Amino acid sequence: MKYSVKLLLLFGILTNSLFVFSQNIENTTIFEEEIKNRSRQFMDKPDFKKAQLFFLEKNWDSTLVYTMKQLSLPNQNQEIKNYCHLFRGFSLKEKKIFNQSRKELSKISKEFIFYYKARIKLGEITLEQKEFKQAIHYFKEIEELNDNQLLGIKKSFVKHNLGLCYLHLKEFDKAEFYLLESVKLQEKQKDTLDLIGSYGDIATLYYEQYKDNLAIPYFEKAYNLSKKINNHQLKQNTALNMAVVEENRKNFPKALVYRKEFEQWKDSLNDQNKVWEVAQLEKQFAVKEKQKEVSLLQAENKIKIAERNGLFYSAIVLLLLLGTAIYFYREKIKTNKIILAQKESLDELNATKDKLFSIVSHDLRSSVNAMKISNAKLLENLATKNLEELDALLHQNSSIANGTYNLLDNLLHWALLQTKQSYFEIVSMRLHFIVEQMAYNYQPLMLDKKIQFENTVSKKDIIFADQESLKIILRNFLDNAIKFSKENGNIKVYSESNDENYCNLIIEDSGIGMSETTRNNLLKETTLLSKKENEKTIGTGLGMQLCKSMIQKNNGKLDIKSELGKGTKIIVSLSKKEQNG
Amino acid sequence: MDNINVLILEDSPSESDALIKVLQANNYNIVGLATNHKDALTLFYNNKVDIVIIDIFLNGSPDGIAFAETINVVPNASKPFVFLTSSTDRQIFERAKLTKPFSYLMKPFNELELLYALELAVEKFYAQNDVFLGDEENTVISEEYLFIKKGKSLKKVLIADIIYIEVEEKYCNIITEKEKFVILISLTKILELFDETIFYRTHRNYIVNTKKITEIVPSDNLIILIGGHKVTLSEKYKDIIKKVRTLK
Repeated sequence: MKYSVKLLLLFGILTNSLFVFSQNIENTTIFEEEIKNRSRQFMDKPDFKKAQLFFLEKNWDSTLVYTMKQLSLPNQNQEIKNYCHLFRGFSLKEKKIFNQSRKELSKISKEFIFYYKARIKLGEITLEQKEFKQAIHYFKEIEELNDNQLLGIKKSFVKHNLGLCYLHLKEFDKAEFYLLESVKLQEKQKDTLDLIGSYGDIATLYYEQYKDNLAIPYFEKAYNLSKKINNHQLKQNTALNMAVVEENRKNFPKALVYRKEFEQWKDSLNDQNKVWEVAQLEKQFAVKEKQKEVSLLQAENKIKIAERNGLFYSAIVLLLLLGTAIYFYREKIKTNKIILAQKESLDELNATKDKLFSIVSHDLRSSVNAMKISNAKLLENLATKNLEELDALLHQNSSIANGTYNLLDNLLHWALLQTKQSYFEIVSMRLHFIVEQMAYNYQPLMLDKKIQFENTVSKKDIIFADQESLKIILRNFLDNAIKFSKENGNIKVYSESNDENYCNLIIEDSGIGMSETTRNNLLKETTLLSKKENEKTIGTGLGMQLCKSMIQKNNGKLDIKSELGKGTKIIVSLSKKEQNG
Repeated sequence: MDNINVLILEDSPSESDALIKVLQANNYNIVGLATNHKDALTLFYNNKVDIVIIDIFLNGSPDGIAFAETINVVPNASKPFVFLTSSTDRQIFERAKLTKPFSYLMKPFNELELLYALELAVEKFYAQNDVFLGDEENTVISEEYLFIKKGKSLKKVLIADIIYIEVEEKYCNIITEKEKFVILISLTKILELFDETIFYRTHRNYIVNTKKITEIVPSDNLIILIGGHKVTLSEKYKDIIKKVRTLK
């Protein structure tokens, strides 16, 4: 029995302290408002301002630091000092440094607006320190005040605390008086939470005095009230109290029910805490998950950007590569084309050369062979001293040598022309004298064939040409004219200078002439050599080819007029004006 | 009229023989035949040479060009020259061309080509192009000589030997102590190219060598020259009296 009473008392005090705490919560908001409003005038003091802010934020340590700083300043305003002591007292109380707190609170002067607040705080502290008489002293002081001075301090609270003090001092009459007073007030105010506490305390009071009949209704009241509220702690306490009461009454089934209820509330409280913690954890976890997701998305974004950039750059690089590849491919194609064209022209040239080579070697062979036969005859005739025949043979040899020389000369010049090695300079010259000089070589030949030669080119005709190539041209045409002339024929060289740009040099013979096809073949612009028609009289065609090339190089033109059996006119048009290139 | 003095630089005897034969047949005077650069220089400086015929290749190297370059840079000593060559090699020609004035003759050549080349070289050297081949003129004037085309060949007359020149239309009578001949040349060209401190015009038809004057008879408008030649002095050109140095 004793044990259970003690336990009950313990719970009573437990509810009490909780009750004091809840009272605190309710009043703090009003109190804080008051603090805020009344201390606004001192906000220009930085340390005080900070102390006040930290106080309102319930940051007790910082409040202590800044109030200390404020207090250490000289020439303090009394009111600021009071505030500082108040803050320090409250803070120290919260930190359970009760003696220091009491010191600070007792320093507050009577004129201070929150003086009674400090006194009630002192009361609470002394109550908690179990200095009940001192506590009663403090509370009594407050009890005697009128409502205006209370500043939100509930009278019921003071009376309740007085009741508690007397209860602890075992002065049950006074305790009963004060507790019932506080209950009356609380019932007026419909303060359910306080009521539950007070009922509990009254019940405890009676229970202490073993007035079980009086106590039990209060316990039941408290218990019933606690059902209406949502405070688990209170529900738990009242349920426990009921359980203890039923136990003492030996009503175990009921006690068990209450006990179970108590357990349930206890568990639910724990559960609630747990749920709350779990929720908190879940929240944290969710936040973490979200954070992870966000960072994942960010990372993904980064990767995407990097990928996009990578793609972009690689595309550019590829494009560049493609461009260069195309460029080089085109270049290669171009080069290939050039090479192909060059190859074709080279092939053509090579074919020409081969053909030329075969023709020339054939010609040379027959010439030299003729010379060989002639020489054999010459030796024969020398042995028989047939002088007349000797003379004829020597003449024949000479003409063969001449022909061969001309062939070789043409060959040389043709080769030089092909390789562009020979000196070439176009200068002005008098055509007449060049013709004269060239004809000079053929005089014996013409005399031999009894050909009448006439050079009627005007001495005034001046043309522009390269001297050596012009000489080669003339030599070849004169040679041809003589070759294709019959005995007693005529060769006339004359000029026509009617055109503004060109002077026509005409080499006319009365020889065998040529067919239109031959003429066309001769004039054809081709590097290939014309075919031999008549092996005996027609040569390699090299001479004609050479002449055409050289006339072209001298900016001239070539034309042929011919009639079979009547003769041929070779018309060489030579430039009268100096041309560039 | 004198023959033209020719110096030949040719290393092949057969070719030089042919050359000499043709030249002599055309009244050219061969003053020397050299076969190398050194001999050629000696002959060139020791003889009165009017024209040089140079074979470009001497013993396989183009020494002929070197010789031409040498005589070309000697002031007052350079003479007309003709290159002989059997090659139309462009590089050789480009080098030879630098020895201006450049005339050349390609081997093998005939008589006409040779004579033509010599005439061309003289024309080019004295910068009086197109004289010998045209119909209007036949004389090239150098500082010392008149080069006159006579027939197929060239002749020369020492200008200092001329007593006076009589102009008749486009002909000029040249009178020297020994002979008298006609050349084709314009009066303006003579006046332009003759030394004007020696040759004075005395009449629209007469140009007189002042060094050949023996007597001036202003009253008769007459100038008497060496050899008893008499030339008219017209009023317009009487200033000559002041210019001629006379004993007083």
